[in-house]
Amino acid sequence: MDTTHPYVVETENLTKRFGDRVAVDGVDLRIPAGSAFGYLGPNGAGKTTLIRMLLGLTSVSSGAVSILGHSMPSGRAQALARVGAIVEEPRFHHYLTGRENLRIAAAAREPEAHTRIDSALERVGLTKRADERVKAYSLGMRQRLGVARALLGDPELLILDEPMNGLDPAGIEEFRLMMRGLVDEGRTVVLSSHLLDEVEKTCDAIAIVDQGKVVVQGSIDELTGDASSVLVATGDDDRAHALLAGYGAERIDGGGLRVPSEDDSTTASINRRLVEAGLDVHRLEPERISLERRFLEITSRLEAAA
Amino acid sequence: MSALVPAVPISRPRPFSFPRPRLVTAEILKLRKRRGLVITTFVLTVGVTAVVYAILALLHTANAAKNGPAGGIANLGSSMLVLTMLAGVCASLVGTAAGAGDLSAGVFKELVVTGRSRRALFAARIPGGLAFLLPFVALAYTVAAVASVVFADSLPAPSVGLLAESGAWVLLVSSFWFAVALGLASLLGSRSTTIGILVAFQLAIGSLLAAITMLGVGRDAIPGTALGRLAPHAVRDRAVEGVSPPMSIAVAVLALTLTIAIVLGLGARRTTTRDA
Repeated sequence: MDTTHPYVVETENLTKRFGDRVAVDGVDLRIPAGSAFGYLGPNGAGKTTLIRMLLGLTSVSSGAVSILGHSMPSGRAQALARVGAIVEEPRFHHYLTGRENLRIAAAAREPEAHTRIDSALERVGLTKRADERVKAYSLGMRQRLGVARALLGDPELLILDEPMNGLDPAGIEEFRLMMRGLVDEGRTVVLSSHLLDEVEKTCDAIAIVDQGKVVVQGSIDELTGDASSVLVATGDDDRAHALLAGYGAERIDGGGLRVPSEDDSTTASINRRLVEAGLDVHRLEPERISLERRFLEITSRLEAAA
Repeated sequence: MSALVPAVPISRPRPFSFPRPRLVTAEILKLRKRRGLVITTFVLTVGVTAVVYAILALLHTANAAKNGPAGGIANLGSSMLVLTMLAGVCASLVGTAAGAGDLSAGVFKELVVTGRSRRALFAARIPGGLAFLLPFVALAYTVAAVASVVFADSLPAPSVGLLAESGAWVLLVSSFWFAVALGLASLLGSRSTTIGILVAFQLAIGSLLAAITMLGVGRDAIPGTALGRLAPHAVRDRAVEGVSPPMSIAVAVLALTLTIAIVLGLGARRTTTRDA
C-alpha cells in the first residue's frame, strides 16, 4: 500500500449546523497515515455527522476537508475511490445474496473491484454464506459483509462507524485482529466506537469529541499510560495509611491505597517505609490510567463546566 | 470471522455477454431479483394478454354465431388499450423500484461513499429499468400481435405497418410511464407514495381532467391525452373517442417530452442534492 500523504484526513474548522443547533463545531482533525485512529464521544456528540461530512453524504456548513490529499468536494471522486466506509449500520438489499450485494457495490467502483469480491468475502469469513440472501444474515454477519464491501476498492483509508455493533466477544476479537492486519498492510483505519476498551486495544491514536468539538487528540500512550501514583496493598492497610500520610496516601474503594509518586525513588521510599515498619507489602504497582477513565474524566469535566 | 488471508483476486471464467455498463447491469440485477416485481410484471403484461385472447378464442369456438373471432384489427385495438393500461401500472412499479429502491433499503449512501457521481447513479437507472421492463411488454405485445393475426378468421387481419405502429406505441407508453415513475420516486424518495399518485392518475384523474372542457388547451399537457394522440388509429378509434381534445402530433410530442424532461430533471436534481 503506497501511502504518500502524511495525513489521510485533515479538517480545518469543520462545522455542521442543523438550524440553530451546531452538531459539529469547528473541528480541526489530523489523522496520520498508516495508523488505527479512534474517534470517541458520547451519543449525540457529532461523531457520525462528522463522518458523513467526510464522505460527502451531507453538506458542510463551513470549513475545509481534505481526504488522501484531495480537497473535498472538488476531489471527491478521486479521494473516495480509495476509501472504504461503513456509516452507521451497514445496509443492503435484503432480497439479494451477500455476493450480489457486493456486485452492486463493485459496479460503482473501478472495474478491478469485481475481481476482489471473492477475496473480500474470504477475508471476513463469509465465503460459505455468500450465496444466501442477506435477510437470513445475523447482525454480525451483516457487519462483516459491510467490511467486505468496504474492502472492494482496495482502500488506503477505512472509515468504520461503530463496526463492532452486533459482534459477540469472539467476533470482536477477530475483528480487532483484522483491523490490525489492515493497518499492518499500510492502510489507515478510522474507528468510531463507544467500546472504549476495544478502541484502546485496537487504535494507535484517538480523538475524543463532545458536543461537536474535539476536546482532546493524541496517541493512546499519551492519553493513557502511567498515572503519577502507585497502588499499594499491605497486610494492614490502616497502619499503612497512617504511615504514608505524609506522602498523601488515600484509601481506594475495594481496599488498598493510592499514593502519589512522581518518580521511582519516591516509589522505592514508600516501599522502604512499609517494610521497615514490618508490614507485608502485597501490592506496589504504578497506577495506569485506562482510556475509559480518561474519557470519563474529560466528558464529566465538560458536563460539570456546562 | 476467519483468520486473515491475503487479498488475492480469484478469476472465474464468465459466460459470454455483450458488454454493458456495470452500473446498468447492477440496476437490472436489482430489479430482476425482486421476485414479486417479476411475477407481477409478467402476469399483468404477458399473462393478462394471453388470458384475454384465450378467452376470446374459446368464446368464438363455443358459439361462432354470437361471438366474433378473437383476432382482427378491432380486437387488437381493444387489447392494446388493456395492455397499455396494465403496462403503465407495471412501468410505475418498476420505475418506483428503480427510483426509490436504493433509498428505501438504505443502500444509496453505500453507493455514494464509493465516490461515483450521484448523477451517474441516477442515470444508470433509466436504461437499467427499461432493460427490465420492455422485454415483458414486448413479449405481451407479441402475444397480442400473433393472436390478432392467427385468430382473425373472417375479420381483416392487421397489416405489418399497423402491427409495427402498435408495438412502437405500447413501448412508448410503457417507457413514458417508467420515466415519470422513476423521476417522481427519485424526487419524493418514497415508492409507495409515488405508486399511489401514479396509479390514481393513470386510472382516474387523467381521464377526469381530460373530460373537463373548461381546461381548454391545458388538457394537452395531460400525459394520457398526448399518448392517446400518438396511438395507432385502431386504438384511438376505440380509446379516446369523445374524450380527447383535438391536438396535433407536434403538440403531443412536445407535451410528453417536456413532462419527461421536467420529472427526470427534478428527480436527478434531488438525487444529487439529498442527504444520503
